[in-house]
Amino acid sequence: MKNNVYLDFHVIQTVPPSCVNRDDTGSPKTAIYGGVTRARVSSQAWKRAIRLMFKDEFPNENLGVRTKKIVDLIAQRIRKINSDIVEKDAVGLAQKVLEAAGIKTKDNKGKIETGALFFISESQMTELARLAAFETENFDKKKCSEAVKENPAIDIALFGRMVADDPSLNYDAAAQVAHAISTHAVHNEYDYFTAVDDCAPEDNAGAGHLGTVEYNSSTLYRYATVNITELAKNLGSDTAIAVKGFADAFIRSMPTGKQNTFANRTLPDAVYVTIRKDQPINMAGAFEKPVPTTKEGFVDKSIEKLNDYAKKMYADFFSEPEIEWAIGSKIGKVEETVSLNTLLEGLEKEIRDVVATAEVEA
Amino acid sequence: MSTLLIHLAAPIQSWGIDSKFDTRRTAREPSKSGVVGLLSAAMGIKRNEDEKIATLASLRFGVRVDKEGTLMRDFHTARDTRKKQVVSYVTNRYYLMDAVFVVGLEGSDKKLLEQMEKALNAPAFPLYLGRRSCPPVGKLSLGIYDCPLEEALKAVPIQAEGQHDIRMVVDTDTDEIGSIVKDMPVSFNPENRQYTFRQIREEIINFNCRPTEHDPMEELG
Repeated sequence: MKNNVYLDFHVIQTVPPSCVNRDDTGSPKTAIYGGVTRARVSSQAWKRAIRLMFKDEFPNENLGVRTKKIVDLIAQRIRKINSDIVEKDAVGLAQKVLEAAGIKTKDNKGKIETGALFFISESQMTELARLAAFETENFDKKKCSEAVKENPAIDIALFGRMVADDPSLNYDAAAQVAHAISTHAVHNEYDYFTAVDDCAPEDNAGAGHLGTVEYNSSTLYRYATVNITELAKNLGSDTAIAVKGFADAFIRSMPTGKQNTFANRTLPDAVYVTIRKDQPINMAGAFEKPVPTTKEGFVDKSIEKLNDYAKKMYADFFSEPEIEWAIGSKIGKVEETVSLNTLLEGLEKEIRDVVATAEVEA
Repeated sequence: MSTLLIHLAAPIQSWGIDSKFDTRRTAREPSKSGVVGLLSAAMGIKRNEDEKIATLASLRFGVRVDKEGTLMRDFHTARDTRKKQVVSYVTNRYYLMDAVFVVGLEGSDKKLLEQMEKALNAPAFPLYLGRRSCPPVGKLSLGIYDCPLEEALKAVPIQAEGQHDIRMVVDTDTDEIGSIVKDMPVSFNPENRQYTFRQIREEIINFNCRPTEHDPMEELG
């Protein structure tokens, strides 16, 4: 509890007429909140959009280490997981699990090393250490080699993994993404369309196809939080880069539902990011009373409501955040808004410091 | 006896007690296992620490439904990428929308309740109401009351507007008459989750709140 570090993301983002996320009947997803129907984009839809963006965020070369000394590194991690294992046994286990994974090791003047430089990421090492710490004899060759082949490092640590057949492979997600809901009431609308058959005979006025597409437009409140303490346990020195990538992807991504029909790839109207040492704070309560329909639209009023609610929460219930950034509008105690790049760089630096301090204390 | 009261509200929340795999249902109010899990997360208790979880589960549990939720079916597809052929499958997951609950945990060890309250204000893991995508809104702890469960649940004001006939569901002793629900956690160990039955009693209390006025011009702004 003393080491809590939570990173909260609050985003106000408008989408024009679109159907970003639909259910099995083709209708845009909705939810009732504060007694009225809101537009909704499911948590899972936006998490997938973020995950797809990770392929661009994280070129493999940037992460992990290139070394022959993997045996020692894995042995260290085995002992961190299970401190009952002595160093000599941990080294033996590390050697066995690497061999099961298909990586040969040899004795180099008393030190067990790999024959050549091997590129391995922090979480691949943690995964092998986990497999080794709980088995003592029978290492499943397939599992071990998968641990090294896959590089799901960042997205598994952030979004978690559940494997029903083998719960030992489960990871708890460090990131939590709420369903995005509109700050105001929404009514789904219908676009009745026809598709013309180019080769229809002259005397046929009928259309080739008739249909309807359901859509809505909305100003969404989007919320996510990352448990930095937990993430750092799994990603170690890769944490800062992972967080920067998550932040960029969360802010800039858009699920692809009906993208070609509506071209709705917008960017947020306002972003508010905080680092807190106590708990995450979801500010959906700012919109429990929906923003009313006026001639002024919904964006400005939504940002104002978010700002007022944040200040109220800080005054009534919680303390101010340790650090705050805002893009687009001043929210909370932010004195100057920044650009996305400045936010990302500042965030990376702060997280790097936080993780380094935690490692020193550990 | 003292009771810790917790405010559970969010745009959507879900409290599963009897479904897995493709159809994930929700009960109409928070489950004991769900709330014990939430407190365990707040206190940093891991899933295999059965004894610590048993201590929380031994507290007497009650729920006051300040605002009934509306049922939502979320059409949620997922992909299994483990085999060569990627398989896409459909799940239907149910949630309660726009619901507000006050939950009470009664025990004789006030120090434990104080630890729980502290943990809610600075949780070791991020908290959620049944599913990860449902973070809570507002402050969770409503305080510790030095009285038994039913008294405490009746003492705190209704956390939602315009409600007056309030439903309450509380743990009862086995010699009383009541219905049973299988949400008493025995183990959260992912290799072998176990739940057993607890006995409950449901009642309706009239809180005598004046219903709010309906303003037909409100939506016109």
